[in-house]
Amino acid sequence: MSRAFRVITGLGYVSERGGFAGWCVAPRRRAIVALFACLLIPRLQAQTSRPVESTAATTTTTTTTSAPADREPDRYLAVINGRVHTVTGPVLEGATVLSKNGRIVAMGGGVQLPAECEVVDARGMYVYPGLVAVRTTGIHDTKNPDDASDVYGLSMNLALAGGITSGLAGKHAVKMTFGSVDDIVLRRDVFTTLSYSSRKPLERAQVRADFERVRNYLRDLRRHELEKLRNKEAKPPDKKWLKGKYEKYRKLMQHETVATASANTMHPLLDLSELSRQFGFELVIRGAYEGWLVADELARANVRVILNTRRVVDPNERLNRPTGATIENARILHEHGVRIAIIPASTSITLWGGAGRDLLHLNMEAAFAVRGGLSDEDALKAITIDAARILGIDDRVGSLEIGKDADIIIADGDVLHYMTLVHYSIVNGRVAYEKAKDTLFAHIRPEGKPAVPDFDDIWPRRLEWPDESKK
Amino acid sequence: MVALAPFAHASPPQSVAADSIVGEGADGEERFVVVLTGNTITITGKEIANGVIVIADGKVRNVGRNLEYPKNAKVIDARDRTVMPGLISAHSRYGLGRYNRSGVRGHLSAAGEFFPRDAQRSDLLDAGYTALAIAPAGTGIPGRAVVVRTAGEPATRTLLSPAYLKVSWETPVLRAALEKAKKEIEKIEKARKAFEEKQKKAKKPPKAAKKPGKKPTSQPTTTTAPASQPAFKPPAINKPYQPLVDLIQKKEGLFALIEVRRAADVLHMADVLDEYEIAHAFLLRNRTQTDFYRVVETLGERKARVVLWPHLHRIPYSTERIHVVRALSRAGCEVSAIPASDSAQEHRRILERLAGLVRDGWSREAALQSVTLHPARLLGLEERLGSIEKGKDADLIFLDRDPLDPLARVREVMIAGEIVHEADLRE
Repeated sequence: MSRAFRVITGLGYVSERGGFAGWCVAPRRRAIVALFACLLIPRLQAQTSRPVESTAATTTTTTTTSAPADREPDRYLAVINGRVHTVTGPVLEGATVLSKNGRIVAMGGGVQLPAECEVVDARGMYVYPGLVAVRTTGIHDTKNPDDASDVYGLSMNLALAGGITSGLAGKHAVKMTFGSVDDIVLRRDVFTTLSYSSRKPLERAQVRADFERVRNYLRDLRRHELEKLRNKEAKPPDKKWLKGKYEKYRKLMQHETVATASANTMHPLLDLSELSRQFGFELVIRGAYEGWLVADELARANVRVILNTRRVVDPNERLNRPTGATIENARILHEHGVRIAIIPASTSITLWGGAGRDLLHLNMEAAFAVRGGLSDEDALKAITIDAARILGIDDRVGSLEIGKDADIIIADGDVLHYMTLVHYSIVNGRVAYEKAKDTLFAHIRPEGKPAVPDFDDIWPRRLEWPDESKK
Repeated sequence: MVALAPFAHASPPQSVAADSIVGEGADGEERFVVVLTGNTITITGKEIANGVIVIADGKVRNVGRNLEYPKNAKVIDARDRTVMPGLISAHSRYGLGRYNRSGVRGHLSAAGEFFPRDAQRSDLLDAGYTALAIAPAGTGIPGRAVVVRTAGEPATRTLLSPAYLKVSWETPVLRAALEKAKKEIEKIEKARKAFEEKQKKAKKPPKAAKKPGKKPTSQPTTTTAPASQPAFKPPAINKPYQPLVDLIQKKEGLFALIEVRRAADVLHMADVLDEYEIAHAFLLRNRTQTDFYRVVETLGERKARVVLWPHLHRIPYSTERIHVVRALSRAGCEVSAIPASDSAQEHRRILERLAGLVRDGWSREAALQSVTLHPARLLGLEERLGSIEKGKDADLIFLDRDPLDPLARVREVMIAGEIVHEADLRE
């Protein structure tokens, strides 16, 4: 294990500058950070214990605690000294993220660690919430993710190496719990698939008619409830027919599930958002490479979009309107207020063909959105918190917040940079991937230092060269 | 008994003292066979050089040095042989066809399909195998196994039937099956309660004790049971689920052999098995590359009984070798070794394979136990098989060298005290 990832067990974080003033963020944010940290610090003061120093390479101390014998001892894991991108909050420089039994319990500077605590030193590294892939293929068993997933599989290993800690497998939102079969499933039956193709007009009309019928039923139901106040023997509307597709539509209209549909070009997008507005259900559209043309409509219908930022479709010259795909799609949609998630063209971990278009490069996909003008922060959100919101799992993953799951990745640079490698992936408070101990990428830049100057200075969006005087 | 003179230089027996024989007196009824050995590998005890094995009625009566035996005993001079217990395979489909079976079929057994031809059996004997556990084929829960001898009297050839329940690598199937079996148990409990309540009611007014009520369709036994004490007849259990019900109720001797293909399935299966506290062993279907090294610790902590193909495995997607078998052994697992496939060739190579792993650091004792004592214990036959000890069956193999010597060859096979096979060396 290299020096950079030396593990210090049980040693409370002490800032080099004293106190918890170890961060370094933009001046306009400093006040927010200070406020944030002040709120967090007292949380663990009560359970402070005398730090135990150890330089052992193993990551857990064996000191006994006074945990009751019948219960398993609490499992603590702390990521210290990293530059913590909380995604929903500020960036905390040199902060500690402490998790207990797989949940984050404290975050910020000056967090005191309990005596028995696994510690990952992220000095000089970037700490992010685990990335969320809005669709994965071939990693989990889609039918029984909790009973049949290959939790030692190469695909899961590679997904973690790419920084992905959770995603959608088939119908279920799942986690990449490498080496553990506990808490794999986050949420079952995330989406209801909706078929509303412009190529089948009759089928379309049928869908609308069915929605209409369910809406009328729901109207009758409300009316019945009012009538029941006056007349107790009022008959409820007949609902024998309310099964199958009708039940599906009822669930959608009563916001019990979310619909998903594929659409790419302008008119199908408009039709779908119109349907969603008309019948008041939540809709997630996959594809939407012409979304930039109808971004305002999509925003008005509160449609979420899962898009691939590298889609190239030439304009259709037979149409007398702007057509085709653009790299600016993500930016335009975001600026109109459409919630977006980014996913690569191939949603599996491919071990063949040209590299870079599969799930291993989810971060690069987001970086392409930045190339199209989306801000770094929003691109990061599109593969973390916004993706989690679209899957309805944002109460547990997608950002680093107290109370959320300890799904953390530690990278040696900005996650959107092409040189960046993930060094640790932590899922449910367990180290699920460690680059130095893995056979895959251990030999690449073992020191963890990218062979380029500080990332902030050379990112393509800021076109000036790195400041040579800094060296 | 047929007088066999299997060895070229048969010499006269050593000492004969009719009144001080080991075991019971020589009535003339008991048929004594005495084997003089060059080296005896007893498996459980020390190896005995120039030992004597006294066999009566197909069982080992005594083993040691300078033992006395009756005058009329048949003496087999095997002083140029190494003698060890016959090999046992804990999982085999030797000589049987393949078929696809899926779902829960606990009522089926491999007993109905073991009809190997003599030629095939002689191949097994040639390899030194004296007992096999024949398991049913298929995925899910294909049925029960049967343990048979490879030779001997047809009447005594079956050692155990039905034996373990095989479960083949589908965790969701096992979970669903156990859930259903649990419901079957609840069904019986419910019926019993209803029956007992009815009995109570019936006792109070003595006239009404006529019909022992049962909700299910099973026929009341009105003919045998007296009206005052009708026996409770439980409702019939769905037949394929009977062994699963027995597993949940911890029936003596029954266990599930869980076939797994990936390390992850060990975790998934363990999850289910622990939930229902099922007695089990794992059959690790390892290929040349395997990720089972990931679960060595887990299996060791569980003191799991493990059946596998002895091989020096490769870590997937790498050229690194890893001694999974040794690691499992050291972690505390009881390892039983089986041939890589059901071919005669692989059965013949089993000792070679073990020798290879011993060369790479596995202990000699563990290696020899993995084909004798451990499978015998796993199958619940340790009272009869697996070592050369007093009271155990005289299923022995005679080798011309140490079993882990690469040149070693099984020369004779003894089952129940009789030589049943001699190697045809075609010299």
